[in-house]
Amino acid sequence: MNVEISDLTRRFGRTEAVAGVSLETGPGVFGLLGPNGAGKTSLLRMMATVLPPTSGRLRLLGRDPGSFRPRREIRRRLGYLPQSLGYYPGFTVAEFVEYFALLKEMPPGQVPRAVATTLEQVGLGDKARAKLRTLSGGMLRRAGIAQAIVNQPELLLLDEPTAGLDPEQRVAFRALLRDLGQRATVVVSTHLVEDVGAACTEVALMERGKIVFHGSPAELIARGEDTAAAGDAPLERGYSAALAMARSATPTPAVTKAPTVTKAPPA
Amino acid sequence: MNGTDAGPPDVDLDRVWLGVAAQVWRRQPGWLERAAGRLLRSPGLARALVITPSLLPGWLIATGVVLVAGLLATRGTGTPYVPLVAPAVAGAGVAYAYGPGTDPAWELSRSMAVSDRMVLLVRALAVFGLNAGLGLAASAASGTAVAITFGWLVPMTAVCALALAAATVSQSSDVGVAAGMAGWVITVLGARVASGRLIAAVADARLVLPYLVFAAACGAVAWYATRIPRGNT
Repeated sequence: MNVEISDLTRRFGRTEAVAGVSLETGPGVFGLLGPNGAGKTSLLRMMATVLPPTSGRLRLLGRDPGSFRPRREIRRRLGYLPQSLGYYPGFTVAEFVEYFALLKEMPPGQVPRAVATTLEQVGLGDKARAKLRTLSGGMLRRAGIAQAIVNQPELLLLDEPTAGLDPEQRVAFRALLRDLGQRATVVVSTHLVEDVGAACTEVALMERGKIVFHGSPAELIARGEDTAAAGDAPLERGYSAALAMARSATPTPAVTKAPTVTKAPPA
Repeated sequence: MNGTDAGPPDVDLDRVWLGVAAQVWRRQPGWLERAAGRLLRSPGLARALVITPSLLPGWLIATGVVLVAGLLATRGTGTPYVPLVAPAVAGAGVAYAYGPGTDPAWELSRSMAVSDRMVLLVRALAVFGLNAGLGLAASAASGTAVAITFGWLVPMTAVCALALAAATVSQSSDVGVAAGMAGWVITVLGARVASGRLIAAVADARLVLPYLVFAAACGAVAWYATRIPRGNT
C-alpha cells in the first residue's frame, strides 16, 4: 500500500477540516470528490507532507513522514500539484520544471532529459523556452503538472489538476493520468465528476471532513439509480445521492469497500 | 527525392528529439550558482539561493540607495546615520528572504526533498552576510569611528533575528519587517532617551550582551517555528 491513513484529523483552531479519515490505497488513480470545504485539500496537503496532522496515523510509501529521513525519502518519490500554484514569472517553462526536479534531489545529470520528456508529455514542448508570465492559465497548469511528474513519482497528488484546461487538454490529461496510474498511486482531488468517471479506478467522497463514500465509480453510479438525485449524468446523480444520504440525519453505512481497499472503516 | 523518404529503421526519432531538446532547453547555471552548488553540495539549494527575492537586483539597488543616502547624511551632518539605518535594512531583507507571499511557489517548495528550513537558513545567512558587507563598506566610507563602524553588527544580528522569528511565527514577511523595524526604532529612541545620544544603541558596549542573548532567543524561536512536529504516527 502506498497510502495508509488511519483516523487522521486536522484542526484549524476550532474547525475540524479533516475528521477521522481512514483509507488505504495502492497503485491506480484515486479520485477525491466533495463539495467546497469538505476537507479534500487539507487531506491532500497532509499527504504531501506540507501540513502535519493533528492526530491519527499516516504512512506514505511504507514510511513515516513524521521523521526527517523517511520524510525526505517520501518527498524524493512524491509529485504534488497544489490548488494554487505560484509561478516565478521570470522563469522559462523548462527552468521552472528543472528547479523543482533539483529540489526533489534528482541526480543533476538526469534532469535535462527528464525535463524534456515531461514537457513533451504535457504538450508544452513548443513552449519550453517561453517565460511563464507569457503563458495562458491552461498552459501554466500544465507546467504545474509537469513539475509534479518530472521525477516519475510513486505517489502523485493533484489538487484540481484540470482547472483551466480546455476540453481537448482534459481528455489528453485523463489519458496521462491512466498511464501514470499503471505504476504509481495517483490521488486526484476534483469537483469535476466527469474526470473521476473517465480516469479513476477508485473514488472517495468527502463531506465535512469525513469520507462518506468509498468505492469504484460504478458503485457511486449505483447509488444514484432509482433515486431523484440531481445531476445530468449517472455519476453526478450518484454523487448527489451519496452526498444527500450523508447529510441526512439517519446514520447510514457510508463506506463501501472497493476492490483494492483493504481497510475502510465507517465514517 | 524519390526513395529516400524513410530513415534507417533502427532510429527512434522521438528519443533523438528528446536528447536534442534536453541539450537545447537546459539552463547553464552562472558561476555564482555553480560555486554555491559546490559549497552547499546541493544544486537545488544553490538554485533556491540565487533566486532569493531580497538578493535580486531590484532589492540590492534599493539597499544601496538607502545606504548611500545614509552615507551622505553622515558626511553632511556628522551624525553617523549609516549604523542606524543598516540594521533595519538587513532585517527587512532577512524577513523577505523566504515565505508565503514572498516566494511564489512556497507551498510547493514545502513538499520538496530539500527542506524549506534549509532554504530559509541558507537564504537568511546569505542576505545577512551581504547586508553586513554593504553596511560595513558604507560605514567605513562615511568616516565614522572604528567602534561605531563595527558596533552596529551585533544590533543588526538582533534585529535580523527578531524579523526572522516574527516572520516564521506569523508566516508573514510583512509582520517580520514590521517587528524588526519597530523593535529597532524603539531600541534607538529608548537608548537616546536614556543616554541623550542618538548613536547610543550602537555605541554602548554594555548593550552587546543583551543584544546577543536576544538574538539567540529569537533564533531559537525561528528554529522552533519552522519544525515539522512529530507525533503523526
